[in-house]
Amino acid sequence: MSWWKFFLPKRASGAQLDSELRFHIDELIEANIARGMPPEEARRRAMLEFGGQEQVKEEVRDVYRVRIMDSAVANVKSAMRFLRKSPSFSATIILTLALGIGANSAVFSAIDAILLRPLPFPEGDQLMRLEQFRRKVKNPLGRLAPVRLEDWNRMNSTFQAITGYYTEDASESSGMLPEKVTAAFVAPRFLQVWGVAPELGRDFRPEEEHWGGPSAVLISDQFWRRRSGGDPSALGQKLRLGELSLTIVGVMPSSFLFPDRDVDLWVPVMLGGPFSENRGLTWYLTIGRLKRGVTLGQARANLATVQEQLGKAYPNTDGDLGVSIEPLKETTVGGARKSLWMLFGSVSLLLLIACTNIVTLLLARATQREHEISVRFSLGAPRAAIVVQLLTETFVLALGGAGLGLIVAGAAARVFRTLARDLPRVGEIRLDARVVWYSLLCSVVVTILCGLFPAIRGTRRNLSSALAQTSRSQVSGRHPLQWLLVGVQVTLAVTLLSGAGLLLRSFQALGRVSPGFDPSHVLTFHITGSYAETASPEKLAQRIDGTIDTVRHLPGVEAAATSSELPGLAREYETELKFSEGEVNLERKILAENRFISEGYLAAMKIPLLEGEDCRRGFRTQEGGALVNRSFANTYFGGSPGIGRHVQAVIGSLFIGPGEIRGIVGDAREEGFDREPSPTVYWCGNGFDPDPFYLVRTQAKPMAMAEILRRKVHEIEPGRSLFAVKPLEEHLDEAFGENRLRTYLLSFFAATALSLACVGLYGTLNYSVMVRRREVGLRLALGALREQIVKQFLLQGLRVTLLGCLAGWGLASAFARVLSGMLFGVSPTDAATLSAVIFLVLAVAGAASLVPAIRAAYVEPMQVLHEE
Amino acid sequence: MPIEKSDLLQGTLDLLILKIVALGPVHGYGISQRIRQISKEVLQVQQGSLYPALHRLEKRGWLEAEWGQSSNGREAKFYRLSAKGRRQLASEESNWNRLAGAVSQILETAS
Repeated sequence: MSWWKFFLPKRASGAQLDSELRFHIDELIEANIARGMPPEEARRRAMLEFGGQEQVKEEVRDVYRVRIMDSAVANVKSAMRFLRKSPSFSATIILTLALGIGANSAVFSAIDAILLRPLPFPEGDQLMRLEQFRRKVKNPLGRLAPVRLEDWNRMNSTFQAITGYYTEDASESSGMLPEKVTAAFVAPRFLQVWGVAPELGRDFRPEEEHWGGPSAVLISDQFWRRRSGGDPSALGQKLRLGELSLTIVGVMPSSFLFPDRDVDLWVPVMLGGPFSENRGLTWYLTIGRLKRGVTLGQARANLATVQEQLGKAYPNTDGDLGVSIEPLKETTVGGARKSLWMLFGSVSLLLLIACTNIVTLLLARATQREHEISVRFSLGAPRAAIVVQLLTETFVLALGGAGLGLIVAGAAARVFRTLARDLPRVGEIRLDARVVWYSLLCSVVVTILCGLFPAIRGTRRNLSSALAQTSRSQVSGRHPLQWLLVGVQVTLAVTLLSGAGLLLRSFQALGRVSPGFDPSHVLTFHITGSYAETASPEKLAQRIDGTIDTVRHLPGVEAAATSSELPGLAREYETELKFSEGEVNLERKILAENRFISEGYLAAMKIPLLEGEDCRRGFRTQEGGALVNRSFANTYFGGSPGIGRHVQAVIGSLFIGPGEIRGIVGDAREEGFDREPSPTVYWCGNGFDPDPFYLVRTQAKPMAMAEILRRKVHEIEPGRSLFAVKPLEEHLDEAFGENRLRTYLLSFFAATALSLACVGLYGTLNYSVMVRRREVGLRLALGALREQIVKQFLLQGLRVTLLGCLAGWGLASAFARVLSGMLFGVSPTDAATLSAVIFLVLAVAGAASLVPAIRAAYVEPMQVLHEE
Repeated sequence: MPIEKSDLLQGTLDLLILKIVALGPVHGYGISQRIRQISKEVLQVQQGSLYPALHRLEKRGWLEAEWGQSSNGREAKFYRLSAKGRRQLASEESNWNRLAGAVSQILETAS
């Protein structure tokens, strides 16, 4: 029988057992007849001799059935007994595994929630994000015009439905005081695409989605509870949003949080309105639901054909446009994927180190148990049974570790939220059945990984040799296998430490970088506005400029300005530009980032003006002008004076140019601290963004001004609300959330790995000292010096560590590619970091080896020699 | 007087079965008859012990079983010794001989 068959349950087939026993009885009857008995008598005697048939069958069945249960229960019982007998051994293993499995399950819970689970919508994997883009430049237009959205929805054959939305932070004024609400303006078919129905009330009716029809609104569960305390009579009431008066027709379930968790209202954008034929608008972020069974490739091909047809029909507006389709989950998860898998990889290395550590412990244990095992062999226990018993012991330990580990995993969600609040889907991380199952799976894998080898090795000796070997003094003093395992632990720990070292150095480098602007003492906030205001840009610009003026003259305020985006946060908006004077230089395209600012931005951000003058006020860039940064001037002016030239977009845009270049400013890392400044044009003027970021430079702490600002804005703009008040530094800090998460966690894992490797080194050296006490005692008696003994054991520990370090260096260089794209200001094979790591490991390993080495040197020769 | 199972040392029945089966493939009835004959009616194995023992040995992989024709043409389950069973038999036999030798030595020396 092969060993593995032992694990398969075997059963005596009932019919076979019957005929086996019937054969026996028939033979008895025949033998009796042969002895001359009459058939009746022969039968009666045979039955008598055979005994109770049912009882025999039952006992045979017991061989298969009850013994398996019994042996499992007995194994667990004996394992518990054994573990109770050696509490420190058990506790060491359980704690090691609690860390290993716990950290693994914690990262898994994040991976499961963020990467593996479908989005929390019915058949969420069918949801796609659709974007249009200009083929010629890397300018993500992204947002769709309402008319093109309807075209796509009507002409494609691969989507169940396509819809879109945009959000606006608006002021709701039906109550006593205006309240800031987040409203999502949605295209038709919105709920159909999500596959979600209102909890209360109904979806929009077709007439509510057409121009001139009744106006309706769906409200979120949180808005409903906040405003009407969850009263169903809220249905039918009216809300006021600027000019709009909207009737509440339904309440969405609390689980429906799209576009984000702050959303309060969903308002239908009506078809057939005055703007509905304008193909140049960029309104909608677009979402589609694929038909069942349609692949991403088919959908891409299909929509590309649709857009090609549109390009022929409307060459001016659609000729240059392409379509991109990505699963909504991918676009939601974004860059977190790479960080999470990197963390999962490191936490798996950590578990591997923990396992190696435990193998070392179990091997040492098995040597001590040789006697017990040989006794069991001589009592007739099959080897497989002993292996199973040893595995059961490991499994009980692994279960204990996994149980404790779940407490670690339970805290994971909080850790992730603390370190990276902006991580996508972070709110979905929780301890659930899947994580518990995963921990259980981990403990099974750990049992096999850690337990099988020592169990098979421990039971390898055959009967006679095990019986013959009774004296402990024959245990070998050298353990090449144990030392190899220690070396492996050091190798893996060095790999993790190098990764952590590189991330830490990057993080440091980011902190030291000089961004070209000063983010301290800047308060940022929004004031509600509506896109409807962009219909009269002049009025809009006047309103915003008025607010800036009021704020600027408050005591304690040094400067105030607006910007459509926050400085230091990535937002690529690159377009192709041209100078109005002269022909377009076809060989040298002018590509630049665009940012939209008001006059005063340079003072608020402390960006130096190098040449020329600051922005002027205006609702169009023709009046406000433009500023360019030094990179732009160096790259595109080509030595000739640039100030006074006019710049504009190659492809006509609502926002961009033409504008006169009024000044050259210093390079600032506007797109993020980790990116070199690229050629940038700052367009001056307010009038196209109803709700820019307000940036206020304060003398005291920024937040100390918050209340004064709120009151002042309410004074001049009673119908609007001020919200999202936050220091600029906090925004920048949050942008580093993912970076911080992976840096802190990897450092934590690496530190744990190093301590585990040192525990392994300490344990192995200690054991080695223990079994070589006699030898040491003898040498001391013969006149060896204690220093020599210390040196010998210390070197033994350090030699293995050094070899592990060298292997770790190799492994770390091989894995450096994993970190590419996560590093800043440090090369993946940075020698300084790697040497520092190796120095650290050698120092810690030396400390861990010193204690057993000194203990060895203080062996009392006479006492040891008497022991035998 | 026949000796029944309860008087046998534990493990002895297994040894006897292995020994009998080692002679060639044999069914349960055959084993019980052979034990009786060879021991000259001293040892009688109850069916209630024999069959559980056979199945236990089969499960441990010491015996292999096969259905075949008995001498009078009936279907019967034949047991055969496996390679593993042969090793087990050798080790149990030597254990038994050591034990028996030791016991008889004590009986002789102490008398």
